[in-house]
Amino acid sequence: MAWGGREVFARFGFGFVTGQVWDPVMGEYGALAAIYGTLVTSAIALLLAVPIAFGIALFLTELAPSWMRAWVGTAIELLAGIPSIIYGMWGLFVLVPLLGEHVYPWIDGNLGTLPLIGPLFQGPPIGIGFLTAGMVLAIMVLPFITAIMRDVFLTVPQRLKESAYALGSTTFEVVWDIVLPYTRGAVVGGIFLGLGRALGETMAVTFVIGSTFQITAAMLEPGHSITAVIANEFAEADPGMHRSALIALGFVLFAVSFVVLLLAKLMLRKLNKDSGTL
Amino acid sequence: MNINHGLIQRRQIVNNLAIALSAVATVIGLFFLFWILYTTLSRGIEAMSWNLFTMNTPPAGATEGGIANALVGSLMMCGLALLVGAPCGIAAGIYLAEYAKLGKAGGIIRFVNDILLSAPSIVLGLFAFSLVTALGGSFSGWAGAFALMMIALPVIVRTTDEMMRLQPKQLREASLSLGIPLWKVNTQILLRAALPGVTTGVLLALARISGETAPLLFTALGNSFFSLNMSEAMESVPTSIAKLAMNPDEFWNKLAWAAAFLMTSFVLLISVLARIILRTNKAAND
Amino acid sequence: MTDNTQTLNFKVQAQGLDFFYGDFRALKSINLDVREHQVTALIGPSGCGKSTLLRVFNRIYEIYPGQRATGSVLLDGSNVLAPGYSLNALRSKVGMVFQKPVPFPMSIFQNIAYGISHFEKLKPADLAVRVEQALKQAALWDEVKDKLKQSANSLSGGQQQRLCIARAIALQPEVLLFDEPTSALDPIATSKIEQLIAELRRDFTILIVTHNMQQAARCSDYTAFMYLGDLIEFGKTDKIFTKPNNKQTEDYITGRFG
Repeated sequence: MAWGGREVFARFGFGFVTGQVWDPVMGEYGALAAIYGTLVTSAIALLLAVPIAFGIALFLTELAPSWMRAWVGTAIELLAGIPSIIYGMWGLFVLVPLLGEHVYPWIDGNLGTLPLIGPLFQGPPIGIGFLTAGMVLAIMVLPFITAIMRDVFLTVPQRLKESAYALGSTTFEVVWDIVLPYTRGAVVGGIFLGLGRALGETMAVTFVIGSTFQITAAMLEPGHSITAVIANEFAEADPGMHRSALIALGFVLFAVSFVVLLLAKLMLRKLNKDSGTL
Repeated sequence: MNINHGLIQRRQIVNNLAIALSAVATVIGLFFLFWILYTTLSRGIEAMSWNLFTMNTPPAGATEGGIANALVGSLMMCGLALLVGAPCGIAAGIYLAEYAKLGKAGGIIRFVNDILLSAPSIVLGLFAFSLVTALGGSFSGWAGAFALMMIALPVIVRTTDEMMRLQPKQLREASLSLGIPLWKVNTQILLRAALPGVTTGVLLALARISGETAPLLFTALGNSFFSLNMSEAMESVPTSIAKLAMNPDEFWNKLAWAAAFLMTSFVLLISVLARIILRTNKAAND
Repeated sequence: MTDNTQTLNFKVQAQGLDFFYGDFRALKSINLDVREHQVTALIGPSGCGKSTLLRVFNRIYEIYPGQRATGSVLLDGSNVLAPGYSLNALRSKVGMVFQKPVPFPMSIFQNIAYGISHFEKLKPADLAVRVEQALKQAALWDEVKDKLKQSANSLSGGQQQRLCIARAIALQPEVLLFDEPTSALDPIATSKIEQLIAELRRDFTILIVTHNMQQAARCSDYTAFMYLGDLIEFGKTDKIFTKPNNKQTEDYITGRFG
């Protein structure tokens, strides 16, 4: 794939990654806006998904009665099995109108005027954009992170938790003070796995991100992501510079997700070693 | 010890808050699941009709149409992908489980397999495309099947590997001590014992590739007409959904929902089937 | 040997205690009087209910749905099984040490301080004093005083178990429950802990479950023999091991079953 992208890299060099303007007609290919969008939407997704995943994992491992654990767990796994394009469609046809008509105008009007963090919440209230894409991604990534957290929480030895209870800990304290530190490596590994998935997600993001090349802090604005660019333009791109640029873009994505996955694996392996000695 | 009751009370409040929040989180998770499924169900069912199976993807502005060509395309490409991918994957899985258990080669293969498994599907699609064009091909059904195979392969390898390794040591040792050659032990005895798990792996791979859109966008592209020719661009259910949904044509959108409902039902059904196979077999063996 | 322990108070008393795992009755109407500042051992073959009984005394079973106890358990005369009895108060009075050393994933200092911080808000200086006290009582201070900030996992098995003992002692409880505390340790570590238990008797009332009869004979003042959920015989350790009243007890002691 690096081979396919060689034309573009030859022409633009490193500027490919930092250039902001992406205009196939003019022959300009700067990937920064797309990279920015990918990173921002993934960050939003993790920000939303991780706390919720933690809450669900806590619920499933410590609080839920046994009859509930099985089917809630299965339900969460079903969420993971739904094809991503369905998320995209649901996002576009259901979430976007909802947000555009009811939620975003409020956010733009009320939170958008706050000092300092205000600009984060501004943008045309039409429902598509970075925030929406981030939200849809969050729902997609949620089952993965939840499943890993739950599986990992279950590996904590019963006697360890009982020791904490015997010293007067509350349920939350047992999870926060004992279970989390014990499983820290794997939990972070799981989060990175979720990040890897969010970075590479195509259809869900393409539908709702707005396909606009811009870099802005305003989360309600439409933007672009690496996957959306490739998805949108590949079919009609002429072979040659345009197609080469898209392939190069794919290569950048591959490189980034490869690194993320590598880190995730290392962390997960570390936990297996640690708990072996414990 | 002088017990500080205020401290205990405060901690109890924090605990109750945390419990409440975690229940809320679970509700949120389940809520979205049901919302998405419900939407797909309701919008899909209202757009369902027999035309889905009999007519091809309609041109813009049409009032009638179906996804017959897409269904056939998906069938052919997924079928081909599994026809080639499943035996390769199972063989690779057996190799990993039996001959490369602890050696470095095994570790490397597993690592590469994991990378493929978790790589974004769009990347795999681009890679398939690059490979195919480098070999002189272009948008075609073959390319699409190839891309799908690359996505299915790591899943099957991983599941087969794990299922084979789960087999009790005694089974292997008992067979070997009867003088049966190792390769037969693996294929005839162990594989058969692990078959439910391996089948589950293949089914899960099927569920995964039938829902994949991105890789097909760059390999099989799409075709508004019915075609059985694999050397041409080919339509598939996910790509047709993408096309039908992204354009603001009301009939197209309705059709997209019907197709989405069909596809989701198929994928979920297969996933549930896979799980049932695994569970009944586990119960039988325990 | 004069027996002046008979005049000591009963610290813990079980009265008509039944215990259920779901529908299974694991303890049958147990009546047991534990004298303060004495070591009472619970012995019996696997499945006799000795661990179950021990775990009733600090109500640790309550975190598992489906497990329940009926009857009463008196601590200094108050029934700890009564709904009104505060679990926190119980935890501060009754400490527990488990079979496998389970240090928390924290530093040595934090391990001890953790329990204290649930009940008291102490200034750092006071906290340090309490931690040192607990470690000294558990005969571990000299070995760890220079590495309090290190992870507890860096200690040996025997040291980790003494850490867990120190952790329980730090709450200044009145009763200590030991659930087979040395079964995962080598003989040297085991004898260190047995010595420790003998000394701890001065400050605490101790209940110890052990499947090692010789350990019970070495360490304890009183012994209770249990079988299939019943308390078969209870009395001074010397008597139980030399001239038991009950034939079953004698059979177990002499190794005829179990």
